[in-house]
Amino acid sequence: MALRKSNPSPLHPVQPRQHPRDLLGLQQQLGDADPRQRRLAARDLAAHPQAALSLGQALAAETDGAVREALFTSLATLASEAAVQSLLPLLRSEDATLRNGAIEALAAMPQAVAPCVDGLLCDPDPDVRIFTVNLLGELRHASVPGWLVQVLRHETHVNVVAAALEVVAEVGSSAELPALRAARDRFDDDAFIQFAADLAISRIEAA
Amino acid sequence: MSIALRSAPARAARVVSDADFQKFREFFYRKTGIHFDDNKRYFVDKRLVDRMEATGAVDFREYFVALRFEREGQELQHLVNAMTVNETYFLREAYQFDCMSNNILDELVRLKPRGERLRIWSIPSSTGEEPYSIAMHLLEKWPGIDAHDVEILSSDIDTQVLDAAQRGVYSARSVANLPKSWLDKYFTRRGEHEWVISRDLVAAVEFSRVNLSDPADTRRFRDIDLIFCRNLLIYFDDQSRRAAAEAMYDALRPGGFVCLGHSESMSRISALYRVRRFADAMVYQKPLNGEAP
Repeated sequence: MALRKSNPSPLHPVQPRQHPRDLLGLQQQLGDADPRQRRLAARDLAAHPQAALSLGQALAAETDGAVREALFTSLATLASEAAVQSLLPLLRSEDATLRNGAIEALAAMPQAVAPCVDGLLCDPDPDVRIFTVNLLGELRHASVPGWLVQVLRHETHVNVVAAALEVVAEVGSSAELPALRAARDRFDDDAFIQFAADLAISRIEAA
Repeated sequence: MSIALRSAPARAARVVSDADFQKFREFFYRKTGIHFDDNKRYFVDKRLVDRMEATGAVDFREYFVALRFEREGQELQHLVNAMTVNETYFLREAYQFDCMSNNILDELVRLKPRGERLRIWSIPSSTGEEPYSIAMHLLEKWPGIDAHDVEILSSDIDTQVLDAAQRGVYSARSVANLPKSWLDKYFTRRGEHEWVISRDLVAAVEFSRVNLSDPADTRRFRDIDLIFCRNLLIYFDDQSRRAAAEAMYDALRPGGFVCLGHSESMSRISALYRVRRFADAMVYQKPLNGEAP
């Protein structure tokens, strides 16, 4: 026994496929009984911009964690408006894994997600607004400070404001100081908001 | 980076305060897993000031805000390149090879049908130091090599380094960590400063060009038992890193292992893997069938 090479090559030979590797074939493969086949289809569909809707529908039904990961990664790779629309409903999911996966994937597509942020920050469900602020904390987009100021100045739900304070404490600049003070004044009877706003202000002023 | 160019302020204006350093250190750790101790302050400050100058940022705050919110991640990549030292040599981070020989391979062979060979994939191969280190470590340190066949695959995106790996000529600095007995056994000295690796070792490694971010390249890799992918993912952006984790997952057999570099963490990239802590190292494992990550 020793170090060996396969003859002629150790690489996996191309096997005959049940489903063709085109859009339709891969979409059908998303419904395969074998999760490994569903994963491979999900990964390959990252090369098909028209696949966003199918990937989103598959996510809503998929129970295998490894297949979900591949679906999220492919949607993040597509980074299109359709991919965003496929992911947004998951912000309302009761399944925290799906919600967090959606936030991660959305954070990876800042330009595509930006047009939706104003609407999300006005969503009637405060949980969706909190998840949107969580998303802002990860989003690489020049408008993030402006969106956070909007939350600090106008948001009425204390938990949404608290989430925004946490993000501003990390990435805020002196430009956000007036909005921070305004939020502290608006919630002057809430000890946590006072604490979080003071912390953010002191961090920015110390920098 | 979308910082407007303006007339360059004096370098003295571009200083990194204690608070700036702390803020940057936390940000950089989250993005790359690389942590800078206080004693790296000068190293970090100098490179930060260089990047501020290169981008035209007037001070740390302007630079950091732009870095934090840039769309493409290009400036972060510049920063990563500036903050990391890209070097390789034989037996680099050897504690993981010890983990391979002391724990991982024995666990893997217990899972395998008798007589089935083990497959190890080293990516990136760079100029060959890692795959050859694996080969020598197996021959010298793993008793199981007498009972099991092992196949070593090694890949890189750069064909020039693959050529160099197959030429197998190394500097004295590159082989400095090798025990003298290994050097005598597996290398021939050429002149004052060069060492040529044994052709038997070159022949034992299957080299190939692979872009880890390209599914068309990686889908040929299947049934791998152990992957060494060290100090590569820190150079990727988040999305590429995630896609690479997916590719390695599909290349591995259930129960197979991934070794990352000491500053890299799969837990920050993907939820697909289990963390396994052995005496010598922490590694990541693809769950066995039916087992939750």
